Amino acid sequence: MNLTNLLRHISLKHIKLQKAQTFMAVSGICLGVAAMVSIGIVNKSVLRSFEDSINHITGRAALQITGAESGFPEGMLDRVQNAAGVEYAVPVIETNAKLSGGKERSLMILGVDVLQDNQIRDYSLTDESADIPDPLLFLAKLDSLLITRAMADREGIGLDQQIQVQTVEGIRRFRVRGILNPEGPARAAGGDIAIMDIYAAQMVFGKEGRIDRIDVSIARGETLDAVKDRIQAVLPKGYSVDTPAGRTRQVEILTMRFRKSIGLISFMGMFVGMYLIYNAVSISVVQRRKEMGILRALGATRGQIIRLFLGETFVVSVVGSLLGVGLGVFFAKLTIGSVAQSITDAYLKTSVVELAPSWSNIVTGVGIGIIASLAAAAFPARSTTGITPISAIRILPHAEDGRLLSTRIRIASAFFILVSILIFMAYKIADASSAIRSTATIFWSIVFLLLGISLSTPVFLRRFMLLFHRFLSSRLGAGGRLAGLNLQKNISRNAVAVAAIFYSVTLFVSSASMIHSGRKAMLDYIDSVERGDIIISSGHPMAVGGAPNIPMPAEMGKEIEKVPGVLSADPFRKIYLNYNGRRVLLGAFDTLGWMEYNPIMITEGGRKDILRLLPRQDNVVVNESLAARNRIKPGDFVVLPTPNGPVRFGVAAIVVSYTSDSGVIWMDIHTYQRHWHDRLADMFSVRVKANENISAVREAILDGIGKKRNLFALSAREFKDEVRTMIDRSFLVSNAVNIITMIIAGLGIIVTLLASVLERTREIGVLRSIGMRRNQVSGLVIIESVLLGVAGGILGSAAGILIGWINLEGFVRLDYGASVTYHIHYASIGWALLLSAGLSALAGLYPARRAAKTNIVQALAYE
Amino acid sequence: MIEMLNASKAYHQGTQEVHALRNVSFRIKKGEFLSIMGPSGSGKSTLLNLIGGLDQPTSGEIFIDGRPLHGISDDELTLIRRRRIGFIFQFFNLLPILTAVENVSLPLLLDGMPFSQIKPQAVNFLEKVGLGARTEHRPEQLSGGEMQRVAIARALITNPAVLLADEPTGNLDSHTSEEIFMHLKRLNEQGQTIVMVTHDPRAAAYGTRIITLKDGALSEDISLGEHAS
Repeated sequence: MNLTNLLRHISLKHIKLQKAQTFMAVSGICLGVAAMVSIGIVNKSVLRSFEDSINHITGRAALQITGAESGFPEGMLDRVQNAAGVEYAVPVIETNAKLSGGKERSLMILGVDVLQDNQIRDYSLTDESADIPDPLLFLAKLDSLLITRAMADREGIGLDQQIQVQTVEGIRRFRVRGILNPEGPARAAGGDIAIMDIYAAQMVFGKEGRIDRIDVSIARGETLDAVKDRIQAVLPKGYSVDTPAGRTRQVEILTMRFRKSIGLISFMGMFVGMYLIYNAVSISVVQRRKEMGILRALGATRGQIIRLFLGETFVVSVVGSLLGVGLGVFFAKLTIGSVAQSITDAYLKTSVVELAPSWSNIVTGVGIGIIASLAAAAFPARSTTGITPISAIRILPHAEDGRLLSTRIRIASAFFILVSILIFMAYKIADASSAIRSTATIFWSIVFLLLGISLSTPVFLRRFMLLFHRFLSSRLGAGGRLAGLNLQKNISRNAVAVAAIFYSVTLFVSSASMIHSGRKAMLDYIDSVERGDIIISSGHPMAVGGAPNIPMPAEMGKEIEKVPGVLSADPFRKIYLNYNGRRVLLGAFDTLGWMEYNPIMITEGGRKDILRLLPRQDNVVVNESLAARNRIKPGDFVVLPTPNGPVRFGVAAIVVSYTSDSGVIWMDIHTYQRHWHDRLADMFSVRVKANENISAVREAILDGIGKKRNLFALSAREFKDEVRTMIDRSFLVSNAVNIITMIIAGLGIIVTLLASVLERTREIGVLRSIGMRRNQVSGLVIIESVLLGVAGGILGSAAGILIGWINLEGFVRLDYGASVTYHIHYASIGWALLLSAGLSALAGLYPARRAAKTNIVQALAYE
Repeated sequence: MIEMLNASKAYHQGTQEVHALRNVSFRIKKGEFLSIMGPSGSGKSTLLNLIGGLDQPTSGEIFIDGRPLHGISDDELTLIRRRRIGFIFQFFNLLPILTAVENVSLPLLLDGMPFSQIKPQAVNFLEKVGLGARTEHRPEQLSGGEMQRVAIARALITNPAVLLADEPTGNLDSHTSEEIFMHLKRLNEQGQTIVMVTHDPRAAAYGTRIITLKDGALSEDISLGEHAS
C-alpha cells in the first residue's frame, strides 16, 4: 500500500521528469533483453526446422536405422524386415541435389520404394496430378520425379515439365510426374524436396547397392525398446537404431557448441545492460539524496526508501523488457539467415522457413530482464540506508564516495581474480577426457575474471587520473586540470561508467583477437593441406565443411587430367561417422599424390611414417583434438564402423586439421573405397603445369567437364577468400552484440556525466561568474567524457588480450587442437581505443551542452 | 511531555571531535511554545534535531510522552517521527515534483492511506493556512511564505504531539515572517505544543518560554507566562 503511494506520487513523476535518464535505463535493459530473446528465438527456430524436417519425412516410422554417411548395403534391409516385431521396413535414400538452369536452388532428394513407402509416409498429390501413371510406370521411367506444390509455384514448374538437377553423374533431366500437396514429406525442408524411385536415386547419386536409411514401423502389441534391441542384435556394430526424436537430439548435440557460443554472447549483452541500470539507479540515489532525506525526516523507513527505488526499477524494467522482446524478434529476423548459413557451412544443411518465437522465449526474456534489473539496482538501492534524516536539513559538504574503494571491495576483486586463475589451472591440468575440460569451465573462469577486474576499476581509475594529472592536464589548460580533479571527486560513480566501457571493449578486443587467431590458423592449415592451383567442387564452393555438396565420381579426376595444362587432379572424399559417441569427419585422399605437394602439419609421428603406412593400408592419421580427447598416440588403433562392420585401423601420426570441431580422421582413398564401397569425391585438387596460365586452365576445365556439371572451380586465393567469408559470417552475431554493448556503454557515460553536471550546477555558476566561457565549460565536460572512455578503453584492451587468449583455449583449442596459436589483433586495440574515446566524446556532447547553458544567477542560488 | 536528561551530542569534523551539546536537561510541558535561542554554533539546531528524532544523542535520554527516543531501532524512531512530530524547516524542504496538496499529504501517504482519503484533509489544512486556492500549485509556483505555510500544513496533518520549527522565517521577509509567527501563535493558543529555534528575540517573544544555549550547554531558562507578544 505504502509502496503504491510512493510509486504513484513520487516515482512516476521522476520517471516522467528525468526523460533522458529513464530513456537510457529503458534502452539498456531493452537492448540486453533483445540480445537474449533474439538469440533464443534463432536457436529455437534452427532446432525446430531440424525437428520439423525429420518429423515430416519420418511419417509413421517408429525407428530409423542409419549407418555410414556414404550409405550401407541394401542387404541389411532383409535382416531388419525379418526381425521379430517389425511390421514394415522400407529403404530410403536421402541426399542433396541442386536444381540447375535458371536460379539455382539446393534441394533434398528422397529416394523411396514406390511400391511400399505408403506404409510409412502419406503422399497427397494435387488434383492435376491425380491421373498419375500407375506406380509401375513411375518405376519404369528412371527420370520420374515428384516435386512439392511450394517448389512448383516458386520455380514456375508445371506437371510433365522437364527440370535439370545436378547429380553425381552431372546435370540430368527429370520429368515432373506429379506435384505434392503440402502434407507429409512435402512439408520438409521448406518445400525444397523431391521424391524419386529409390533405384533411380541409387543410380544417379552413385549409391548403387546402397541405401542411407531404413524406416521401420512396429507391429501391434510390440514395445519400442524390445524391437529396437532385436534390430540392433541382427545388425553389425556401427549401425544406429534410433527413434526420430533421438535423431533430432543428435542434431541438437551436433550444433550445441555453436548455439552455446552465441548464447554466451547474449549473456554478455545482458550483463552490460545490467550495468546501465546500476549506473542509472546509483545516479538517481545521489541526485535525490535531499529528497530521500526529507522523506526520512517525515517518517519514511529505510525499507520504504529501498523499496521505492526497486519499485521504480521494476517499472522501468518491465517497459524495457517488453520493448526488448519486440526488438529481439526483429533482430532474430535480421540474423536468422546468417546463423542458418553458418550452421550450413559448418555442420549440415539448414533452411529455416519461419521464426519460432514461443511464449517461453518471451516470458524468459521478460523475466530475466526484470530479475537482472532488480539485481543491478539492489546494491545502489541498499546504499540509501546511509541517507539520514539530517541530510534533509544540512547541506552536507561534498564528500568523496569511497564506497567502491573500500578494502572489502579490493579483497573481493583479488578473490575473484584468484578464483578465475584457479579454475583455469584446473582446466589446464585436467585430463583431456575429463568433464572439467569444457567450454563451461572456461566460461566461469572468464566470468570471475571480468568480475574481479571490474571491481578494481575504481582503483585503476584513481591511478589513471593521477597519471593524467601528472603528465597531461596542464597541456589542456584549465579545462584539463579541472576535468581530472572532477573525476577524482566521485571515483565510485565514474568507475561504473568506466566499467561499462571496459566490458564492451573487452568483448570487442577479445573476440577480434580470437577471430584473428582462428582465421590465421585456418588459413595456415589450408596452406599446408591445399597447395593445389585450382579447387574443383560441385554444389558448394566450400566442400570441406558440412556444407551441402554433390559428390562427383572419383574417376572424374582422370578426365580433368586430360585437360591441357593440368599436371594432376587429386580426389578428396569426406563423410561423417560416429566415433566414441561423436560425429567425426573422415577424409580420404590419395596419400602419395597429395603429400607430394602438401606439407601437412604433423604434431606426432612423421611424414615418412604417413607415406609408409597409409597408402592402400588399414592405417589412418587423426587430428590433435581427437587424439587428445581419446588419448590416442601413434602406434595405437582406432576401430571405425564401416558398412560391413567395424574395422581396426592403426594410427600412423597425429596431424593438425581444423576441418571439424568434433575430430578428423584421414585415410588413403583406396583404403576408403575398399571398405566403404564408395567411389565418389567431394573435391579435386588440381595442379597446373609450370608456365601454364592457371585462369586459362580453369576455363578449359569448366568448358569441358563443367558443361555437363555445375562445377565450382576456385583458384587457391578464391578458396581462401571463401574460408575467410565463412569464418567472418560465423562471427556476425557476436559482432552485432559487440556493437550493441558499445552503444549501451556510451549511454552509461551520458547518464554519468549528466548527473555530474547537475551536481556541479553551483560550481559551474561560479566558474562562469569568474570568466569561464561557455565553450570552455563544455570543453571541460567533454574532456571528462573522453578520459572516462580512454580509461575504459585501456583497461578493456588489456583485459581483452587476456580474455581473447582464454577464449581461444576454451572455444577453439579445445575442439580444434592445441596448435592454434594466439595472435593479438593490434588493429582492434587501436580501433577500440579510438572508438571508446570517440564514442565517449559523442556521449559527452549533450551533458556538455547542458553545462554550457547553465544560468549563472540561478546556479549561484542553487542548493 | 518532552523530557531530556543529560543529553549530549558529539560528532567528528575531520580529525577533531566537536561537542555540539553537553549534558542538557529540561522538560517541555504540553501546550508550551518554547523558543530555543543562542549564538551561532551553540547547539540550537542539534538540540531540535534530537527532540525530533532526526538524530540520536551520544549519551543521555530523551522521552516524548514517556516513550524513549534513545536506544530504539531506526524503524521505531521513524514511526514516532512520522506520527508524533511535525517539522517546519528553514528551507521549507518541500518535494519540488509534488503539488501543494501532495506535499501536505506525504506523511499520511507514507502511512499507507489512499490519496483519495487523504486529499480532503490536506485541502482542509491548506485552507486553514490560507492556501485553499493554491492546492495544485507546485513549490516553484509559490512564494517563500506560501511554501512555508504548505510546510506548516504538512507538519500538522498527522495531529502531532509537538511541532518543531527550525528558523522557520530564516528565508522570509519581515512581513511574511510576522504572518508565520502569528500563525504559530494561533496554533499554540489552540493547544499545539511548539518548539522553535530562532536567533531573533522578537521571534522568541511569540512564545511562552525561552531557553538559551551557549557552547552546547543550557545557560538560561525563562518563562514568559502567557504569550508576551
